[in-house]
Amino acid sequence: MELQAIYVQVLALAIFAIGLIVAISRRNVFFVLMGVELALNAVNLSFVGFAKTLPADMSVAGQIVPLFSIAIAAAEACVGLAMVILIFRNRESVDADTYSNMKG
Amino acid sequence: MLALIYFIILGVIAIGSAFCVLLSRHPLYGALSLVLSMLSLAGIYGLLASPFIGVVQVMVYAGAIMMLLTFVIMVLNGARDSKTPMFDRVSLFVVPAVLVLTGLVGFVLVRSPIAFDSTALRGSVKLTSETLFNVAQTGPGYFILFEVLGLLLLSSMAAAVLLAKKRLGSVDSDNAEDK
Repeated sequence: MELQAIYVQVLALAIFAIGLIVAISRRNVFFVLMGVELALNAVNLSFVGFAKTLPADMSVAGQIVPLFSIAIAAAEACVGLAMVILIFRNRESVDADTYSNMKG
Repeated sequence: MLALIYFIILGVIAIGSAFCVLLSRHPLYGALSLVLSMLSLAGIYGLLASPFIGVVQVMVYAGAIMMLLTFVIMVLNGARDSKTPMFDRVSLFVVPAVLVLTGLVGFVLVRSPIAFDSTALRGSVKLTSETLFNVAQTGPGYFILFEVLGLLLLSSMAAAVLLAKKRLGSVDSDNAEDK
């Protein structure tokens, strides 16, 4: 029994599924942001896991792209939290169901 | 064999703390379990022989992003309407849908013939820096992406400051000055 590449992908899939459930079904807006972060983490893990299945020079790209992905996640968290602060100041609630003033 | 044992331990911690994020009531407990999940994922990166990504994960994700999230949760006192239910009726449809999606993708994934290649390069600091800052004309050109990323982070920082500050001269800022 050695560590197989498929185990890493199954772990990434499980974490992605949990992140998706958290982002869609929780009502607190902070949990929505945390679910997005969890799903992004799982995608990074999948990148690295697939990069290790490629031969020598081809395995570099999959280990560079997660760095960019992490930086994009930092920018996303920054703007997302600023928007949460802005909406919270108007609505005085962290329940995402009350943020429905743009609903048609 | 030892790698598999470490992987199982770290994977169980990662999935367990992800479940804690799903089931915890207070956002601060959720944020702390998310930090634990990210730290164990950093350990898995080290196990997969890309230690630089693991270190970046610890510093940027578990350090900077989660610090920002925890700070905002504590400033906004995000738990003060903890009487609203955690889930609603939409979850009854969302959870089975996501589970079915996971089952389908997992079925395809398990049947695919992938295996670790022993010649895959170790993602050390040397390899990462040489690839990222390879400015040769025939190189991969990641340094342009790196520059663009600097602009993106600068603009997102400016956008966050502009969004979250109180308007100058508004009632809120006048009250803040009076206090």
